[in-house]
Amino acid sequence: MAKSDDCVHILQGLLVFGNVVIGMCGIALTAECIYVVASSHGLYPLLKATENGDIYAAAWIGIFVGLALFALSILGIIGVIKASRTLLLVYIILMLITFAFEMASCITAATQQDSLTPEFFLKQMLDRYQKSDPANNSENEVTKTWDELMRQNHCCGVKGPSDWQDYTSAFRSTHSDADYPWPRTCCVLDAKGLPVNLDGCKLGVSGYYNSNGCYDAISGPVNAHAWGVAWFGFAILCWTFCVLLGTMFYWSGIEY
Amino acid sequence: RPRHEGARTMLPLLLLLLPAAHGTVRLEFMPTLTKVPPLEGMTTASTFVLNQPRCVFENYSNAVIWLVVALDKGRLSFNNSAGPGTPETAFQNFPHSRAYMTLNATPDSYPCPKPSGDIAVLRVGSETSCAQDETRPTCNGPLPGPGPYCVKFLALEGSVPVAETYWSAPIMLRTAKSQNSISTTGSGHSAGMIAITTILSILFAILLAALVAMLFLCGSDSCGGSSTFSKPESVTVRRYNTHHVYDQPAARL
Repeated sequence: MAKSDDCVHILQGLLVFGNVVIGMCGIALTAECIYVVASSHGLYPLLKATENGDIYAAAWIGIFVGLALFALSILGIIGVIKASRTLLLVYIILMLITFAFEMASCITAATQQDSLTPEFFLKQMLDRYQKSDPANNSENEVTKTWDELMRQNHCCGVKGPSDWQDYTSAFRSTHSDADYPWPRTCCVLDAKGLPVNLDGCKLGVSGYYNSNGCYDAISGPVNAHAWGVAWFGFAILCWTFCVLLGTMFYWSGIEY
Repeated sequence: RPRHEGARTMLPLLLLLLPAAHGTVRLEFMPTLTKVPPLEGMTTASTFVLNQPRCVFENYSNAVIWLVVALDKGRLSFNNSAGPGTPETAFQNFPHSRAYMTLNATPDSYPCPKPSGDIAVLRVGSETSCAQDETRPTCNGPLPGPGPYCVKFLALEGSVPVAETYWSAPIMLRTAKSQNSISTTGSGHSAGMIAITTILSILFAILLAALVAMLFLCGSDSCGGSSTFSKPESVTVRRYNTHHVYDQPAARL
């Protein structure tokens, strides 16, 4: 009996500890996902424009999953201490549902990271930048986002200004190559928003135009967010797996 | 092969003696694209950038220096005595006419020696406003195709060609690929994503199996037994003091 009591107490202790960790990680997951949703508004039009806003869906799911994990961990602690079969059964089933949702969120975030290649952004930029289509508002959003991106990060195009030379584009069909080898936003601009030296910019003299591409400025934050949501969620799920197995074992051993 | 000093002093004499002679001096200079400093727009789809002919036409201060742009195939048939601004050399008739003349300048525009900090370039194809204007046959308009083009400089005194440079090497401009040729079908899935998906699926499957086993095998109280975990308020063995144990000594007395 004493040995059994010790085993019980150790198992209870471990399960309570496991649930405490799950609760804290749930809060952390909620906080991280709120940060991802709040800080990526600048780039959201680029991703939304091609129905690729899944990273934000994954983050929204993460917020609710985090809160659910916190609430369920409290339920789990109570259930383990009281050794109540009903409470623990409810806990196990709700935890499995939460597990499934978080699994979906992680896989979505991980898949997202793969699909945001330079070619994806390049095609979108060439198709939509300065596409004069008054009926479609999303094109203006994309143009405004790109202009803001190029101004703030002092970059041009996705891989460089030569993107505008190497490929046809909506921009090229309305702006002649001799006057606009690349958009004016690629030039170094003064305080009024006009090019400092237009001829230097058109020639491509370094110092008067932005020579590096914007891909790093876009992919850096988005990939970091996707990585955070995907891998932190994965770690929580592995821990939850262990705790759930332990809880099931504990449940099966409780006297009815 | 052209001679240097001898030819230059002989040339005015020759011109005097042979007024109708085509004694155009070939100068030792080949026009080149500007590679120093590196320019992103050295060649675009319709323009290219040449180095200015500094220190080349020093002896021809009375001449006007023209740039002759020709298709690679057309340079052999170019006649130096074709005047600028004529239909044969008008920009608007190019490429039908195989060559055109533009960017006229006096040698003062190309002072020698070139100060080292300056960028001395000529951008061929920069004037878009006069490209269709027939009244501006010497327009420096955007080039109509990817080329290849050859250029040379020609010095004219009045309408007589006096000096020329070599033809440049053929210059190819950039061609734009169609944007539809960019494939966004994805580079496949990364190892991380495959790992996450596989591992999570396995874990979830194990949990479901464990749940099923737990419910079916232990749904009734067939699992909970006295040898397994008991509740905290469960009955512990209490010692019973039966009356007869205490009664016995009393009975003896």
